[in-house]
Amino acid sequence: MRRVMFWIAVVIVLCAFILPIAWVYVTSLKSPEDIFRPEKLAFLPTLYNYKYIVTVRPSLLEFRNALIITLASTALVMGVSLPAAYSFARFNTGGGHLLFITISTRMFPPVVAAIPFFFLFRDWGLLDTHLGLILLYIYFNMSFATFLLYGFFREIPEELEHAAMVDGYGRLSIFRKVIFPLIKPGAAITTVFCLVWAWNEFLFAFLFTRRVARTVAVGLAVFWGSIEIQWGPMAALMGLAILPTLAAAWFMQRFIIRGLTFGAVKG
Amino acid sequence: MAKVKVENLTKKYGSLIAVNNVSFSCKDGEFFSILGPSGAGKTTTLELIAGIKKPDSGDIYIGSSLVNDLSPQARDVAMAFEKYSLYPHFSVYENIAFPLRAPTRKEKLSPKEERKRVEEMANLLGIGELLDRRPQHLSGGQRQRVSLARAMIRRPQVYLLDEPIAHLDAKLKVSARTTLKRLSDKLGITIIYVTHDYKEALALSDRILILREGIIEQVGTPEEVYLYPSSDFVGRLIGDPPINLIDGEVIKKDGKSFFKVEEDFSIQIDQALVSSTEKAAWEEDGRRRIRIGIRPIYVKVSKEKLSDNSFQLPVYAVEHKTDSSIVGFELKDTFLIARTEERVNWRMSEKVWIDFEQKHLHFFKKTVDVSKK
Repeated sequence: MRRVMFWIAVVIVLCAFILPIAWVYVTSLKSPEDIFRPEKLAFLPTLYNYKYIVTVRPSLLEFRNALIITLASTALVMGVSLPAAYSFARFNTGGGHLLFITISTRMFPPVVAAIPFFFLFRDWGLLDTHLGLILLYIYFNMSFATFLLYGFFREIPEELEHAAMVDGYGRLSIFRKVIFPLIKPGAAITTVFCLVWAWNEFLFAFLFTRRVARTVAVGLAVFWGSIEIQWGPMAALMGLAILPTLAAAWFMQRFIIRGLTFGAVKG
Repeated sequence: MAKVKVENLTKKYGSLIAVNNVSFSCKDGEFFSILGPSGAGKTTTLELIAGIKKPDSGDIYIGSSLVNDLSPQARDVAMAFEKYSLYPHFSVYENIAFPLRAPTRKEKLSPKEERKRVEEMANLLGIGELLDRRPQHLSGGQRQRVSLARAMIRRPQVYLLDEPIAHLDAKLKVSARTTLKRLSDKLGITIIYVTHDYKEALALSDRILILREGIIEQVGTPEEVYLYPSSDFVGRLIGDPPINLIDGEVIKKDGKSFFKVEEDFSIQIDQALVSSTEKAAWEEDGRRRIRIGIRPIYVKVSKEKLSDNSFQLPVYAVEHKTDSSIVGFELKDTFLIARTEERVNWRMSEKVWIDFEQKHLHFFKKTVDVSKK
């Protein structure tokens, strides 16, 4: 009986996750006439919608924008957060206050920051630029990445570094040879979180870009016009837009397991 | 190899003084042990010498140079850590070879030479079979030997060993002890060795420093600290069963000195020892109080009266060793323990004669609590 309940629960949860995705892909393969006839289960698959988003509208540009902004912001975030988190974890830099201030940027609704940032970016000419959005994503992801990495660095016993010092290594080579290999699973998880967040971010991308730097997430909303909703092309673009995040989730799951058992690695 | 000198070293953690004004000097090629119970400041002292921690005051010299401001990697020391601190992402081989590859050391070994050195050291410590494993797949004792091998692989100015064999099982401990002693004698290396086990310290050291709450209690050769403990604390730390510490009163009568423990017994003190009793005794409620110390092997027990100075007590319990017995007697405040040369089969409450070998009597101030409760 308990097994049956278990499987029922699994099926319900799976349906909740899979049905919307399945709907997206199924819809994307339907012709415009088929989309509004849900009673008709069998339909002739067509690539019409995919052709539409490639030829009629600048979807590839949106993909390229999202890719540039996501990769650049994540690389910069990791470049700063890794040493910052290390320093917070090892030297208690700022006596805890600095770490708190860093995290506190995630404690208010992001939209609170939107208006001041908007005026600032307008004056600096950063609206609708890649750099503008990259800076914004750095601002939001940095605090999160630093806090996450801080936890991973805390797991590494300080004695390991002492041993390496006595063994004749300086701070930098210790970080490179001892600390970084141990933090790798944690760093991978953090990187993936940043990538996914930046890729999916909608609010700021919507407010701060128009045409030049528009990302996929915003592009998806454009199908929602005042006259009609282009379900087919929207589903096609959705189907493509979620592929990177699905890949990231698949890549991440083994690291999450490793990351969680990280404490057991202690020497 | 070099001598190590430490002058007025002090290290505080908040309000706790871990190392308090410690000075000592360890000679070139000496096996120097730091002995003390946990929390005595032994590890901190070692970490200060290694440069892992910075002293609040005091100077550290390695060889003839002042190393206070040098980083650990510039000090040319090797250290084995009590918690092993092995690198979990390296194999045993890589762990041991890690110090050889350090950029600051300029060892510049070819891979072949490196392998030879590592295998030599690993075989010496009986971990030659484990070189390809990861530390997390080793037992505690194996990890400890890897940690020791990593510390011993180089030829630094001084080796700092923090409880390097504490977690080995009894048999391995003996062989590791022999290996260590052999290494230190053969290579003439300077070793500062931290331990809480007096047996290790006595077995290995040229000299022993005894620490108590960050303060030096005594420095001396193993014979000195065993035969002439400077305080009841040192006496109690070294020896098993531990030294008997009995509190009593010095009484002068007809030009003779007596040591009296209320109700329990009273003995006359040899004239030769009277001056040392005077030094140790203190005034309390108008009485001359003193604490005597005597090792259980110097407490003679017998069914027959041993001397005019001997006294009788009922047996509290008898515990047997392979070739001797430990006989306990209950005093008002503490137990008196005697170790016999042969096995005895006395019953509980049986009265036996007791005599102290007076030349092995120690007189102390009272600094440790030994009440039987």
